[in-house]
Amino acid sequence: MATGELNLHHIGVRFGGLVALDDVSLRVAPGKVVGVIGPNGAGKTTLFNVISGFVTPSDGSLTLDGKPWRPRPHRLSGLGIARTLQGVGQFGGMTVLENVMVGVRGRRAEAEAFAALDRCGVAQYAAVRPGTLPYAIRKRVELARALASKPRILMLDEPAGGLDTDEIRWLGDLIRGELIKDSGTTVLLVEHHMDLVMSVCDEILVLDFGKPIALGTPGEISTNERVTEAYLGAPA
Amino acid sequence: MTDMKTKASASPVPTKVAQERRSMRRLAPIAAVLAGGVVILILSYTLEPFRNYQLATVGAYFCVTAGLTVLTGLNGQLSLGHGALMATGAYSFALAQNKWLSLPLSFVVAIAVTTLAGAVIGLAAARLRGPYLAGLTLAVAIVVPSVTSTFDETFNSDQGLSVVLDPPPGTIPMERWQAWLAWTGALLTVLLLAFLVRGAFGRRLRAVRDDETAAKLAGVNIARTQVLAFVVSAVCAGLSGALFAVLAQSVSPGAFPLTLSLFLVMAIVIGGLGSLFGALLGAILLVALPTFAQSVAEQTGSHRLEGNLALVVFGVVLIVVMLAAPGGLASIRFTFIRRFRRER
Repeated sequence: MATGELNLHHIGVRFGGLVALDDVSLRVAPGKVVGVIGPNGAGKTTLFNVISGFVTPSDGSLTLDGKPWRPRPHRLSGLGIARTLQGVGQFGGMTVLENVMVGVRGRRAEAEAFAALDRCGVAQYAAVRPGTLPYAIRKRVELARALASKPRILMLDEPAGGLDTDEIRWLGDLIRGELIKDSGTTVLLVEHHMDLVMSVCDEILVLDFGKPIALGTPGEISTNERVTEAYLGAPA
Repeated sequence: MTDMKTKASASPVPTKVAQERRSMRRLAPIAAVLAGGVVILILSYTLEPFRNYQLATVGAYFCVTAGLTVLTGLNGQLSLGHGALMATGAYSFALAQNKWLSLPLSFVVAIAVTTLAGAVIGLAAARLRGPYLAGLTLAVAIVVPSVTSTFDETFNSDQGLSVVLDPPPGTIPMERWQAWLAWTGALLTVLLLAFLVRGAFGRRLRAVRDDETAAKLAGVNIARTQVLAFVVSAVCAGLSGALFAVLAQSVSPGAFPLTLSLFLVMAIVIGGLGSLFGALLGAILLVALPTFAQSVAEQTGSHRLEGNLALVVFGVVLIVVMLAAPGGLASIRFTFIRRFRRER
């Protein structure tokens, strides 16, 4: 399987009169961590929904490994793309282990699912139903489910939401450590927690009201005036 | 990748314990079905003919309730039309049997026709959710019996068709033969369903039921899973219908009314949604409660009660079970065992 190069060309999404995304282009290079940030309602999750096929763009196109690509949600995992959901989205009627096993194919499904849980530090909850677990643990289970399919592109939708400082540090280490260095996974990250974004990303795209306003390294973004303006309002 | 593998073998659970547990789990349905077969064989030799006939009826009901509990309990699709699918199976069986007089062939025809019917309804059902799906299947339950009066040359209207059966082999009494046929069908059905729902297909079924978005992202094709689930349960209903044709040696629209479909849903809810053991309990209740109601009605000597008391009894049982054990009768077992373990 190719390493996974994802390109977005001039993507536009309209919901009736509302322009959710306007002329967004992005190149996600293999093995990089690319962050998407912006104030609430900037279109970050819509962008994720376009890439995972839940929303069909009104304009523009996508390519995967250089070929034109029209994403369909249930085909993603077959293409080596995994995505976590903002609202956790787990199967309440199944155990944690079964939850993870849904995304794993083949005879070694159970062992691989268990290994993914172990990696995320939640293997001890394998036999429990996710509904009974605290939010932070469920977030880890969700992450384990995405990792179990051994994706080449991993899309994380606000993985730090609801986590405390230690857990966020653990998440950052996971993204920067095992995920990137050891397996060359490409990560696409939507996140509000700036410390995490700034510490793990190679490149950051900033959206505001659906428009891309900046694209660059964390250093460039943190000193960009338009970004500060979008987050804090007009400069004094 | 190498890192994943070393971790997998270093962690304790997926090694020996899990393997033993997995092979145990794999063998459990076979053991249960074999034990069931022995019990049925013993019962069929000890029971009087009428009780044997009732035993056979439980077996025939078990086929459909098992399929329905997988569809409704595990996949979350509520069908109020399984009585109509039973009718489809029964009529296909009757027509094939009267034409070719070959029991195995007639069963194959009944299953083939209901597979087709299940696929057609399933394709429509996969696009519908909740009350809309219930409405569609309800319409099927109402429409199918009236087909018999529209094409009365083939189906002979309300009179129905009689089913010609060869006499049982040897000196086996008819009722015992019927019980064997019904329970062979039921046990095979349950064995196949048990294997299906314990594997990856079962996980996909439940994933679709619990969260469609997350299931899609895990690579599950929602529509295909739903149609497959519907076809599987339609086949079970078709086989059940064919068995009812064998039992009654006739088929008529009156044998598959709308209330039958509703009773089936009630039975799996009382038994415990999604549980094959619960489906067995439901099937037993479907036979036992009307019999009980009838004997009560006879003792009080009221003719008015006779037809309606079964409905009342079913309703009361449903309410009592839902209050006492919301997970159905099958869940009681587990809470009892858990309590027992905790006390030890």
